[in-house]
Amino acid sequence: MGPGIERYVAPRTLDEAAGLLRGGNVTLLAGGTDLMPQTQAGRAQFQPVLMNLRRVPELTGIEQRGDAIRIGALTTITQLMQSALVRERLGVLWQACDHFASDQIRNAATLGGNVCNASPAGDTLVPLLVLDARILLARKPNGAALQWRAIPAAEFFTGPGKTKRAPFELLAAIEIPLPAAAFYQDFYKLGTRPGLDISGISIGLGAVREANRLRGVRVAFGAVAPTPIRAPRTESLLEGKPLDAATIEAAAEAAAAEVHPISDVRASAWYRVEMIRNNLRRMLEDARPR
Amino acid sequence: MHARAEIEFTLNGVKTRTAVPADMSALAMLREVLKLTGTKYGCGEGECGACTILVDGTSVNSCLMFAVDCDGRELVTIEGIVSQPRGEALRRSFVEHGAVQCGFCTPGVMVQASHLLDANPAADAQAIKRALEGNLCRCTGYRKIVEAVEAAAQAE
Amino acid sequence: MGAAEKPRTPESLIGKRIPKLDAPEKASGRTRYLQDIDLPGELHAKILRSTQVHAKIRSIDTSVAKALPGVHAVITAADVPWQRPIGVAKDHLPLKTDRVRSLRDEIAAVAADSEEIAEAALRLIRVEYESLPPLTNALEAMKPGAPLIHPEPHGANGSPALKPGAPVAFAGKPDNVAMTFDYHQGDVVQGERESDVIVEDVFRLHYVTHCCMGVSGVIADFDPGGNLLLYSNTQVPFLHKREFADMLGIDPGRVRIIQPPIGGGFGSKLDIYPFEPIAIFLAKITRRPVKLVFTREEEFLASPTRQPVLLKLRSGCRKDGTLTFRTVETVHDNGAYTSWGATTPFVMMQTISSLYRVPHCRYHTVAVYTNNPYAGSFRGYGNLQATFAVEAHMDKLADALGMDPLEFRLRNAQDPGEVTPQGMHFKTCGLKECLSTAAARSSYREKRREYAAQRADCNPVKRGVGMASMLHVGGGAKIYPSDGCGTILKIDDFAHVTLITGASEIGQGSETVLSQLVCEELGLPLSSVTVVNNDTDITPWDVGVHASRTTFIAGNSAIGAAKKAKAKIFAAAAAKSGHSEDALDLRGAHVVLKASGEPVFELGKLIRSLHFSDKAELVMTTHYYEPPSKHQDREFKGDVSAAYAWATQVAEVEVDTRTGIVRLLKITGAHDVGRVLNRLGIEGQIEGGVVMGQGYALTENLIVEDGAIRNPAFRDYKLVTAPEMPDMDISFIETMDGEGPQGAKGVGEAPAICVAAAVANAIENATGVRITSLPFTPERVYRALHGELAAPVWEASA
Repeated sequence: MGPGIERYVAPRTLDEAAGLLRGGNVTLLAGGTDLMPQTQAGRAQFQPVLMNLRRVPELTGIEQRGDAIRIGALTTITQLMQSALVRERLGVLWQACDHFASDQIRNAATLGGNVCNASPAGDTLVPLLVLDARILLARKPNGAALQWRAIPAAEFFTGPGKTKRAPFELLAAIEIPLPAAAFYQDFYKLGTRPGLDISGISIGLGAVREANRLRGVRVAFGAVAPTPIRAPRTESLLEGKPLDAATIEAAAEAAAAEVHPISDVRASAWYRVEMIRNNLRRMLEDARPR
Repeated sequence: MHARAEIEFTLNGVKTRTAVPADMSALAMLREVLKLTGTKYGCGEGECGACTILVDGTSVNSCLMFAVDCDGRELVTIEGIVSQPRGEALRRSFVEHGAVQCGFCTPGVMVQASHLLDANPAADAQAIKRALEGNLCRCTGYRKIVEAVEAAAQAE
Repeated sequence: MGAAEKPRTPESLIGKRIPKLDAPEKASGRTRYLQDIDLPGELHAKILRSTQVHAKIRSIDTSVAKALPGVHAVITAADVPWQRPIGVAKDHLPLKTDRVRSLRDEIAAVAADSEEIAEAALRLIRVEYESLPPLTNALEAMKPGAPLIHPEPHGANGSPALKPGAPVAFAGKPDNVAMTFDYHQGDVVQGERESDVIVEDVFRLHYVTHCCMGVSGVIADFDPGGNLLLYSNTQVPFLHKREFADMLGIDPGRVRIIQPPIGGGFGSKLDIYPFEPIAIFLAKITRRPVKLVFTREEEFLASPTRQPVLLKLRSGCRKDGTLTFRTVETVHDNGAYTSWGATTPFVMMQTISSLYRVPHCRYHTVAVYTNNPYAGSFRGYGNLQATFAVEAHMDKLADALGMDPLEFRLRNAQDPGEVTPQGMHFKTCGLKECLSTAAARSSYREKRREYAAQRADCNPVKRGVGMASMLHVGGGAKIYPSDGCGTILKIDDFAHVTLITGASEIGQGSETVLSQLVCEELGLPLSSVTVVNNDTDITPWDVGVHASRTTFIAGNSAIGAAKKAKAKIFAAAAAKSGHSEDALDLRGAHVVLKASGEPVFELGKLIRSLHFSDKAELVMTTHYYEPPSKHQDREFKGDVSAAYAWATQVAEVEVDTRTGIVRLLKITGAHDVGRVLNRLGIEGQIEGGVVMGQGYALTENLIVEDGAIRNPAFRDYKLVTAPEMPDMDISFIETMDGEGPQGAKGVGEAPAICVAAAVANAIENATGVRITSLPFTPERVYRALHGELAAPVWEASA
């Protein structure tokens, strides 16, 4: 059960939050949708300080800054879905949000929380890989001003529940380079229900469509490895090639060979591989110009 | 033992002040501290929706919300919902359309339906089903619930 | 209405859409379920369960837990040497003594000032185990030389040794066989000889569980005189009153059970489970009210399941399409203890022998102890499993003959008046009408041909239709010495009726339908009835809410009481008015002339004149209804129900061959319900049952591996959600049962029974692949489509 929460804090600025975090021994609270069940079931233990980030204004908002879109870590899934910018320019992320749990959870869960929780099946993570997102981390060394670093999403996740965020760092925002207007995006989540299922596998696809070819291809998979992954071999097989039946078949096979899922209560490894192959094939067929 | 925090919020329109342990859920606070038992515990993991309440006008699973996070916010529970015209209309419609059997999921469904109609007063059956995806019901098979919400939407 | 005003022509309440009387409260969040009740001075209890699947308990140390501030009691079996075994076979001690037999096994319990303290205390209890070989496969458990689950007699006194005079918990078993069932009619050898086509398959039916939205709970409270008051979610209060009394060694009259509104039943609350006696022990020891409520995880881990079954079915027919024989063998994984799941053969053999006419039948079940979770009763009670197998073979045999499956079923369907070899007398039977109606309304024949023809085309998404029918008791089931229900009815001075019934309301709407039947009889509006139905100190005896019996049995009981009241009213009215009793009727709260509707007395006034007279009488009546059904004999033969319910459902599905995802698009159902009483209520029962059947078929799967439940949460135990609900087209076939209340039969379980069977046939129609194991999760279906699914095999050596 751990020593218990000795102090509850709800900072009002990012500076204050980062300063508190420097002291260590902090449990961060954002939407709470993962933290509450994990602590109630004893799967996670509270640190002596519970810090509620909900009052920090710098962690909110979705805005375009130059050629990037900055999404505050506290942005809820519902807020992402309501954003015209997300719907129009980050379609793969919007689709993933549409398949995210239930309305009640979308109203509470935050993008930053989903990223920090780093589940291999986390619904928003595959789109972030496809969108080449950068994770912005803030920290406040003793007596100094806020310092920032950015980590590419593809490098951020290191294992189930594990990321490159240091304990004294705060995930402040996600920055996404504005995709080209012709950037084709598609997302697939295997499940029998619209959102409530934990994904058996998920697939994100992004590429610039030029005639019958895909360029700048990005393919990412969820729930087939300890972290969400990009699929470089599959991508290179598709890059610049005519999107014909042979290319699609080769890419689907490459994808199947490129993933190494586990078997668990949701699906066997064999089935997950089959689903990667079949659904990537279908998505690529859908991506062909009509 | 966990630290306690003093919090203040609006509950069904009434300013409320209480002290809660920092690890307590909003659901436990409502049921055990404030004795408002209309909000139900169904799973404690946000999977069933029986504990749905409105916070600042949006629906959430109160079992996943930290009670301390209620500080400064506006909470509405089933008890508050049915004292407003939309909630009253929903209640009448649920009764008339047979949307209630054992009734244990009903308060959460009512709150979620009310939130849906706040956002989308013209919700059709498809939108209603999607909005209720996070509310499990073991008795009705959902059909009469969807009909009840649809009828309430059309009556507006 | 004034007495001078002529009451309107009587409008019958039967068949109307009557909202549930308790719905306004429930929809307002004002209904106080057991979970919402707190008694002054109440303590909170938690149970310590085994961490081992099968082990000897070496030692239990509760000393540290007892010392935790706020802890009032920590008990183990040693603290309650007077405890007695519970359950259907009385093989189950609430607190385990020397041995644990499954992961849910109760070892110790705590009563404390709060749930948090009780949980903290549980973590301070030290248990030493000596592991025993786990036995988690029923077929293995049947083999000679298999480790024994209940090897020796054990005492209830907390020590492994039997002590003279101390209660023996369980006599022990020389093997792992918990129960066996054998039934036969005709001669299956002759049946095989007469057959032109014979098919055989092994079916595997999985674990599912009730998932009542309200978790299990109980509050126990003793008064200073040692009388027990129990707030309980039980579906059988009168049976349990007696069991608890026996356990406490007190007169049953000193046990009072109050049933607060309940968050779902579905059969889960027909047995006593260890948490109930444990709360009672703690209340007795602490002399405080003790409340024990499960978490959802505990609900998954420590609630009964539906009976998992391995079933081998062999069926035959002649060229002309007449069934010849059925041979069935099943292995029921009994789990560690025996509850109602072991007795599901009672229902299974009815479907085997009598859903269709089959001259020769043999049925054999062995229920085998294992270290797995144990099965209880669950809506449909074995019938989902039996119907799944039988209806698969109805399609297979028809296909083998090249006959239309509807035609094949009609040829073998039962008719009204039939007495089956098992002794069931179908006084009414709408099966043929159910079959034709469901087929016609779903365009079954046309679609089945069309979809079969599309199997080979290039569209990866296939469609299919499938049909299944069912037979289930619809007029109670005479399992206990009595299958009756009592009613007390009083009409007050203002013509307000209090209906005191033994029948429990579990959300199904019995309160409403009983009020409706009484009002129909007495010519009163529904607003003039109050129902009292939840307190054994007040209500008359009833056997319980099970077997789809409440509308039928409690309904007839309520009507009987109302008729007696009516007779009394007519006698008084006749004496006062000079009209003959036969000429009178009750309408609109008036005594009227039957022929003209002319009012004779305002009812309240008449009753007051009876009350405040020299004779000073009140209108109070009682009635006990016992259905004219029979107990089965030792060969399981007999007319066990006063009526039988029938249904046919056609499922239409879409199968995505790329993923194995099956979507249930539509259920077209035709149900012989006798007569529709409350249209709103019966639609709700059918729709809810269909979706529960859909969950059984497609999504729900309690994964038990090595004795452990791997998915004890809604995240991975997937109930059907609103977006998955199918279209439903339900027809009611009204056969007007002569014994039923206003002609009605029971229907509570019926709608859940044939969905899985119909879906299996629909998947076969869509893909040409027959899957004989459940559930049809995407992976199972995908594997089957790609030849990667191992069909269930029969390896039992018994």
